[in-house]
Amino acid sequence: MTNRQNPAQPDDPAETTEPPPTAGDSGTTEPSGADPTPDADPAPAPEPAHDPETVPWTGRTAWVFPGLVALFGAVAVRGALTIEAPPHSPPPGPGVVPGIVGTLLLLVAARMALVNLRVARRIRQGAQVPGTPGVDWPPVGIIVLTLAVHVALLEPLGWLLSGALLFWGVAYAFGARTWVRDALVSLSMSAAVQVGFSLGLGLNLPGGVLELVL
Amino acid sequence: MDAIVLLRDGLAAALTPGNLLWALCGVVLGTAVGVLPGMGSAMAVALLLPVTFQMDPTSAFILFAGVYYGGMFGGATTSILLNTPGQASSIATTYEGHRMALGGRAPQALGTAVIGSFVASIVGTLVVALFAPTMVDFALKFGPGEYFALTVFSFVAVAAVVSGSVLRGVASLLIGIAIGLVGIDGQSGAPRFDFGSAVLLDGIDIVIVTVGLLALGEVLHVAARGRNAPDLASIRSGKPWLKRRDVRRSLPAWLRGTALGTAFGPIPGSGAEIPTFLSLGAERRFAKRREQRGGDENEFGNGAIEGVAGPEAANNGSAAGSLVPLLGLGLPTSATAAIMLAAFQQYGLQPGPVLFERNGDLVWTLLASLLIGSVLLLVINLPFAPLWARLLKLPKPYLYAGITLFSVLAVYAINASVVHLVMLIGVALLAFVMRHFGVPVAPALIGVVLGPIAESELRRALAASAGDLSILVDSGISLTLYALVLIAACIPLVSRVRRLRAERRERETTGVGTS
Repeated sequence: MTNRQNPAQPDDPAETTEPPPTAGDSGTTEPSGADPTPDADPAPAPEPAHDPETVPWTGRTAWVFPGLVALFGAVAVRGALTIEAPPHSPPPGPGVVPGIVGTLLLLVAARMALVNLRVARRIRQGAQVPGTPGVDWPPVGIIVLTLAVHVALLEPLGWLLSGALLFWGVAYAFGARTWVRDALVSLSMSAAVQVGFSLGLGLNLPGGVLELVL
Repeated sequence: MDAIVLLRDGLAAALTPGNLLWALCGVVLGTAVGVLPGMGSAMAVALLLPVTFQMDPTSAFILFAGVYYGGMFGGATTSILLNTPGQASSIATTYEGHRMALGGRAPQALGTAVIGSFVASIVGTLVVALFAPTMVDFALKFGPGEYFALTVFSFVAVAAVVSGSVLRGVASLLIGIAIGLVGIDGQSGAPRFDFGSAVLLDGIDIVIVTVGLLALGEVLHVAARGRNAPDLASIRSGKPWLKRRDVRRSLPAWLRGTALGTAFGPIPGSGAEIPTFLSLGAERRFAKRREQRGGDENEFGNGAIEGVAGPEAANNGSAAGSLVPLLGLGLPTSATAAIMLAAFQQYGLQPGPVLFERNGDLVWTLLASLLIGSVLLLVINLPFAPLWARLLKLPKPYLYAGITLFSVLAVYAINASVVHLVMLIGVALLAFVMRHFGVPVAPALIGVVLGPIAESELRRALAASAGDLSILVDSGISLTLYALVLIAACIPLVSRVRRLRAERRERETTGVGTS
């Protein structure tokens, strides 16, 4: 969702924090290239320079997304070929659009692969390419695991407990380690949601084991 | 004026104590969600969508109107205070806004943002009220072929113009369309991509997609960034009272921003980003020229108040403007508009010409509620803006745990189905991969919402012509739209050429400068 290639945009501050006054304008504020205003540092603009949407993919993980796109494309094309149109349906059957979308997905995947190869060649030739940032796997794993556990336990255990577990798990993944306080906050959040929803909106969240006990 | 009378009636319908309460709730909730890092108004509307199932449509849309505007203001707050825009439309605000905050003028930046949003919302909503009926007259001439051309146009515009990389934008869009294919085919009744699951026959609910793509995807993305994630603790705030000098400099910027935003809002694919950046660029030039003429000094680069006032007004103006095609044609031009469309569909309403005829009162009530929402936004947020900033001082683990809890709840509330939650996890993982590899998620959202519409219009057109493809291009409207598609597709190419040229020139000039 980042703004980058805005054609109509005369001077895009994201890319040209410093250089443009010399390039395009009459240069009234900055008479010479070297000027001591605080934000006029000639080094590549620190943050906006690496727009994640334009950073090329490098290394082995570069193939993850093209692979995913190809997978989507393959499933769509396979669907297009196997979907059975009910008799008497008008000419463009239910398989046509999946076929088009699937083919386009495969084309996009191929094009991404091509770009990857080109980037890899540039790197071999010694070009400096900003890489994709690494992933801090443990927190991501904990969150996904907690979500899975929450989904599995939601109905047997009830919202109150499984919701609290979810809250606590995600908080733990983000570094919460004050056990007693975390547990209290988790339980009260979960309880507040349950009470608020059943009283305010008439939505029943599963009671689970607590329903049997109480 | 006909529209004014209708709007007045709408205002009368919307101004009940109950509805005012909903608008208030909406503004508060929207701001609260908008202030959270990485969350925008699209997110806020998505999370609240299931909550409103029990409400009557009028109250629900009033709530949404409040959430929409509140969310946009919330996004401005984080842009200014933290330099972390919650959504693309607030990026332009960060440049001068955050510098103002660093210079100890955060309250003034917030103040000018609120008032700018207010001015733009009021003007923008009035423009919508005047133009939506005209749009409807135009839309009545549309057949399936024209509608298909229109959807293709928004696809290309969204994927090519808004995203940083055309290839990634297109990939995201296609994935969205592919997700939208799941379920029973509306035209022939054939099951598609159900993978043997009865739940998948109903398709993947839009709430699952939005919550997964925007909220949970964001949680995973922030978790993966670990220590690189923005630090939320470094905030200063105060009372946002503007001095007379601030007002004098903000006022023209508000008006220019409003004009830019409202003009660009209805254009599919332009989103809120283009007008906000145009406004920032324009204000910068005006400031420079003013200084040359011996007026106030040019503060751009050091926190110029015009650089906040203009883009924020443009942002809200375009938000209101995007309602013109949404209500008149049933065509969402932004992620939030896409979710609003989904909200209409939940009530069995299809925006477009027919909506004005059958549920005209609802449309005018919605427009009136937008006016009410913007007034409430001003009343609530001008004095309390600094309080919102405190929300960010919540411990980060609890903040994201809370977002996760509400995401799960929002999806479970659709149908009390655990299978939906499994889908949610799947979509969240997809969103995480997309975010990690810098693939924009907004086109996917547009694809999910617009894909089925595009398909049914295409097949309806072809069924009417017995498979003759020429029906797609046999009217002036379709041809014009396809011509625009070509232009939109060429714009990124042109801009790439221009950027390459600018880089070369830059290299030459810096080379001269250092020698």
